[in-house]
Amino acid sequence: MKKIVTMLLSLLLLIGIVGCTTTENSSSNSNSGSDDAKQEDGTKVLKLNNGSEPTSFDPPIGFDSVSWNALNNLMEGLTRLDDEDQPQPAAAKEWEKSEDGKTYTFHLREDAKWSNGEAVTAEDFEYAWKRLANPDTASPAAFLSYFIEGAEAFNTGEGSEEDVMVKAVDETTFEVTLESPVAFFPNLISNPAFFPVHKATVEENPEWHTEADTYVSNGPFKLTKWEHDSEFEFSKNENYWDADNVKLDQVNWAMVDDTNTEYQMYKTGELHTSDVPADLSEELFSDGKAQVEDQSGTYFYRFNLEMEPFQNQNIRKAFAMAVDQQKIVEFVTKNEEKPAYGFVAYGFEDAAGGDFREVGGDLVTTDADQAKELLEKGMEEEGYDQLPAVTLTYNTSDDHKKIAETLQQMYKEVLGVDVELANQEWNVFSDEQKQLNLQFSRSSFLADYGDPINFLESFQTDHSMNRTGWSNEEYDSLITKAKEETDEAKRFEYMHEAEALLFEEMPIFPIHFYNQVYLQNEDVTGIVRHPVGYMELKWADIK
Amino acid sequence: MAKYVMNRLFAMVITLWIIVTITFFLMHAVPGSPFNQERNTSEAVQQNLEAHYHLNEPVFIQYAIYIKSLATLDFGPSIKQSSTSVNEMIGRGFPVSAELGITSLIIAIISGIVLGIMAALRHNGAIDYMAMTFAVIGISVPNFIMATLLIQQLAVTWEIFPVATWASPMHMILPSIALATGPMAIIARLTRSSMIEVLNQDYVMTARAKGMTTFQIVMKHALRNALLPVITILGTLVAGVLTGSFVIEKIFAIPGMGKYFINGINDRDYPVIMGTTVFYSAFLIMMLFIVDIAYGILDPRIKLHKRGE
Repeated sequence: MKKIVTMLLSLLLLIGIVGCTTTENSSSNSNSGSDDAKQEDGTKVLKLNNGSEPTSFDPPIGFDSVSWNALNNLMEGLTRLDDEDQPQPAAAKEWEKSEDGKTYTFHLREDAKWSNGEAVTAEDFEYAWKRLANPDTASPAAFLSYFIEGAEAFNTGEGSEEDVMVKAVDETTFEVTLESPVAFFPNLISNPAFFPVHKATVEENPEWHTEADTYVSNGPFKLTKWEHDSEFEFSKNENYWDADNVKLDQVNWAMVDDTNTEYQMYKTGELHTSDVPADLSEELFSDGKAQVEDQSGTYFYRFNLEMEPFQNQNIRKAFAMAVDQQKIVEFVTKNEEKPAYGFVAYGFEDAAGGDFREVGGDLVTTDADQAKELLEKGMEEEGYDQLPAVTLTYNTSDDHKKIAETLQQMYKEVLGVDVELANQEWNVFSDEQKQLNLQFSRSSFLADYGDPINFLESFQTDHSMNRTGWSNEEYDSLITKAKEETDEAKRFEYMHEAEALLFEEMPIFPIHFYNQVYLQNEDVTGIVRHPVGYMELKWADIK
Repeated sequence: MAKYVMNRLFAMVITLWIIVTITFFLMHAVPGSPFNQERNTSEAVQQNLEAHYHLNEPVFIQYAIYIKSLATLDFGPSIKQSSTSVNEMIGRGFPVSAELGITSLIIAIISGIVLGIMAALRHNGAIDYMAMTFAVIGISVPNFIMATLLIQQLAVTWEIFPVATWASPMHMILPSIALATGPMAIIARLTRSSMIEVLNQDYVMTARAKGMTTFQIVMKHALRNALLPVITILGTLVAGVLTGSFVIEKIFAIPGMGKYFINGINDRDYPVIMGTTVFYSAFLIMMLFIVDIAYGILDPRIKLHKRGE
């Protein structure tokens, strides 16, 4: 009897194994999203995945990517980023800047309309921007309004609403006075936080943004259906001023949180785009199916200058130079990221048309010999016979773990230093890092708007993103100067100087720049993915 | 009976209160805040947010505020999805989870009991071994693997079913099966063992001697007694399955309650953590209570009022 059971069990196991292998074969043979994307009746319906329920469709509240992608296509600010990520006139048809660069006067389009047919007025903008800065709104994006004179005081409870310097001069003229000349202001206000809201609707119903039938928008699409936690649906907004150039009839957004499921739905044609599942990325890259777009953000590590041995600049430099960024992106992350040898990501053009990163060049290099020398020098300076124990901490995730283990190995090989690894759940980690309790920790930065200053201002003394204990007066003054400067060439010079100084002292070192990797149905064209993290469907089309 | 019910209800409220209190203080003892984002936010903005949700008050005051609103069954707003209240979340998610749960429970109970009976009747026979091998696989293969296999084979390769989402009855089949396999296996094994025991009882022998068919014996005499252990675990099983399976709901993109349990904790979304915990606990306690009552109905030997006094 026992024999029969054993036989039966092994047979089942065998069937299981065979079953799995055939499954794999069939998956690579089956079609890959090349189904006819258009609907049978000729209407153009784009099928996308939002991942999860949007945090909020109220512009100042929905400050994250699950809200932005949709929000950016429902609403429209004064400017909209084009396919080269440059701000173009949108709700505003043109604008002037005062001589000192501090006052912007925007002229709205007369034909800019809300989805309910009413005109988009300067008053809507004034109301929306004051609402962004209002402490009662509790907007996580409120700090973006601090560029506007009086907004910071209002937000922190020291000033009043009247002193926020945004003004509707008449129906179509909107005037803003800034704290300092902000050259990238037209770029900044393409951010969803600066989108207008329909004043009458908001005043009448504070919950207007929670359901599709009460939602009033002014962008290329309008919200026609929203089944919470399940799906939502856009239709073309025929009241949109540039409706002639909007080609899609409808956009369906699913909320699928699992990348593997998303990928399967993409393969069966239930979705038009998909992320790349980690286990399949190599295969999809080599097939040329996975596409890559830049994202403004940097994966980096922070040293804690208040903990030994990282108070020493040479030891910090040694730890930075021992790392081979190229190897990490090539063999560890395998996601086609660009290795980072500076902090500011690619994609920021200066006055002469050069890219900030390329002009700035490599500020840290991989150099094993020099790393060893610097470590010895640093230990001598500090009088160490033996390097104090180093613990590298990351927030729990497989991807971060892989990189952390690679670093551990590199330090062992290059410096002969045994680094211990520790991981913590994200919230715990984030708290500890802010309180400077971590010696050496994984970090990331994602840009809020398209300007290098957004990256660099993080390391001013006591900035909430500093988290290293590093403080440098010269750096602080360079950032301030860059913020005050009206001349573009000079402004970039200051920022280059600041970045070079940051790397001279090396409180951080970069690993790679972020990117956006995706699969897309071949019939779908014209989706623009901005490096600052939101998606543009205005020009999207289905063949 | 009435007194027993009253006593139990009172005990339930106390249990719930203890759970609420422990959860509340544990939750606030864990480091982190709902506003810790990967993105950068300024201190002033953080303070505004905290004030908005009364998180700047001492924990005891927050506790008092919470208990007060809980007494009116108001779970408060979600911090992460600020425009949604936790009541709305449960109101939306629970029916979906329940729908999925009931479907898979029906599959699990029917096929589990049938398998168990067949195995017991052919004790140590081929059917028994097949059924139990099936049950072992059901218990040992985690449901997320089952789900992935089902999607890959039935949805992607053969294209019989849609891959995911929750739009039509067709969409319900794969997740229900994936969720049902585990409970089915447990039920099958329990039914089998207690069935074997019952089948050896004297009264079954008597029935057999009277010339009743096997079918009659099973339906009339054996099954009712054999189901007692199954009922015991059904209480917990029902609560677990109905309030959502995080993994299955995530894989199939089902808008159920499961994700709130997990995401609430990851996001430190305090009202969501509390709301889901209270809801789940109340549900579980309720189920255990119903199971106890069901015992009395199924087995007259158990007298409820005696234990209640």
